[in-house]
Amino acid sequence: MVEFKDVSVTYSSGVDALNKINLKINDGDFAFVVGSSGAGKSTLIKLILKEINATSGTVMVNGFNLSKLRRGKIPALRRTIGVVFQDFRLIPTMTVYENVAFVLRVIDAPSKYIRSRVPYVISLVGLQDKAKAYPTELSGGEQQRVALARALVNDPKLIIADEPTGNIDPTLSYEIVDLLRSINECGTTVLMVTHEHDLVRYFGGRIININHGSIAFDEVIGGSAENEN
Amino acid sequence: MKISSARYLVGQGMKSIWRNRMMSFASFCIILVSLLMVGVSVLATINLNRIIEGIEDQSEAAVIIKDGITQEQQDQLRSQIEQIPNIAEVRFYSKDEAWEKMKSDMKEEQQDLFRYSEDENPLPDTFRVTVKDIGQMADTALVIGSLENVDTVKSPTEFANQLVSIKNIIMIIMTAVIAALIVVCLIIISNTTRASVFSRRKEINIMKYVGANNTFIRIPFFIEGMVVGVLAAGAALLLTKFAYESVYGIFENDMSLWSILGVDNLYPFNDMLVKVTVAYLMAGAVIGALGTSISAGKHLKV
Repeated sequence: MVEFKDVSVTYSSGVDALNKINLKINDGDFAFVVGSSGAGKSTLIKLILKEINATSGTVMVNGFNLSKLRRGKIPALRRTIGVVFQDFRLIPTMTVYENVAFVLRVIDAPSKYIRSRVPYVISLVGLQDKAKAYPTELSGGEQQRVALARALVNDPKLIIADEPTGNIDPTLSYEIVDLLRSINECGTTVLMVTHEHDLVRYFGGRIININHGSIAFDEVIGGSAENEN
Repeated sequence: MKISSARYLVGQGMKSIWRNRMMSFASFCIILVSLLMVGVSVLATINLNRIIEGIEDQSEAAVIIKDGITQEQQDQLRSQIEQIPNIAEVRFYSKDEAWEKMKSDMKEEQQDLFRYSEDENPLPDTFRVTVKDIGQMADTALVIGSLENVDTVKSPTEFANQLVSIKNIIMIIMTAVIAALIVVCLIIISNTTRASVFSRRKEINIMKYVGANNTFIRIPFFIEGMVVGVLAAGAALLLTKFAYESVYGIFENDMSLWSILGVDNLYPFNDMLVKVTVAYLMAGAVIGALGTSISAGKHLKV
């Protein structure tokens, strides 16, 4: 669960990035966060990952009160969150398998569990044949699916996808969102930041529109995909 | 931490040496050169010091004993001298010994000019005295001179003072050189490792996002730096041994010439092997490990 109460962020440059935001995303939700560049979407993500701290207000993520969270506990917070970035951020010197297994090594998981869990998650995103390939040998869509597997492998409560379709082919974008939807159906909360309105209109669901540091719109709309069915 | 995790981290450290081999090689060379410069300077200083101490040991004061004193008085004087704190060794040098020495130093024809009988030996009995601190030779000579039954004291005071000031100057210069070398080496090493870590900052960044704690990120860097440092130390040890023994060999082959300078006092390398090995390995491992993990730490704040 993610909850923002009267959260404001003012950068040291004097820019007001967020202004008294109130927002609640319940467990099991799927929400799109939309808004133009500079509206405050990235600030929202950075707050959740505790890359930055709120200037005022409280941020609760998966039971952690971020304004009271000590530096040494940040890894514990991040282990409950899976993140997918626009630029994939895979480790280029590791194979697909190693990139995914890495997350489990970080949390000191038993090797036996790693050996069974990693191939399973890789097969979930349909890359079982590419497990031994390096990121540079994959297409953008495939790299993003590796990133998704990496975000999933630890069975996080929350997945944050920051413009996950920004660097890949439009037709493959739908595949990625489909994957995120099926992950959500298994009970994981998904927060996807995007500015591709076509995608949002197609899939529908909860849309949070941020504009000039405030929430301009937060409603559930029906997507065209449902109308088609 | 589980054993499998520890093994994984050590493995990652070893792998990254090869993955980043250009940077590893650069660190290796820098640490090697740094160790060599500091090591050779320290060895040179130790030996220079020993040469000077060798000269010091050879410089002794001659205490000329008054003629015609009894054996008892002589023994008493000896114990009085031995009680002076700065005295290292007292050796009796009889007039007969002195006479034999003088004769043997002369050529045959000159010997004929000095035909004294044993009783007519004009040379005095002396105590040959060496001191602990050559810098206080003059003071010690005054104390001995004031004792009963001492005729005069002949001490190489001026020579002693010069020796002390030469030694002090050498020590100051060498300490400054070594300190400067250490500072320069640390700066270069930290810059090299920083470049090596900087090239992997994305990797570190990703580790932070997936919830790796600082220890987990640092250990592979730590291992990597330590292994590179130890390898560099091994290479430095071999090079130092080779160079040292070459120089030592030159001195040894022409001993008669150099022994005047006390160069027969050089330490053989094998006497110092353990100390040099330990110093190099420790320094290499610590510099390598700390250099990389401190540099890695700078990128940990995501």
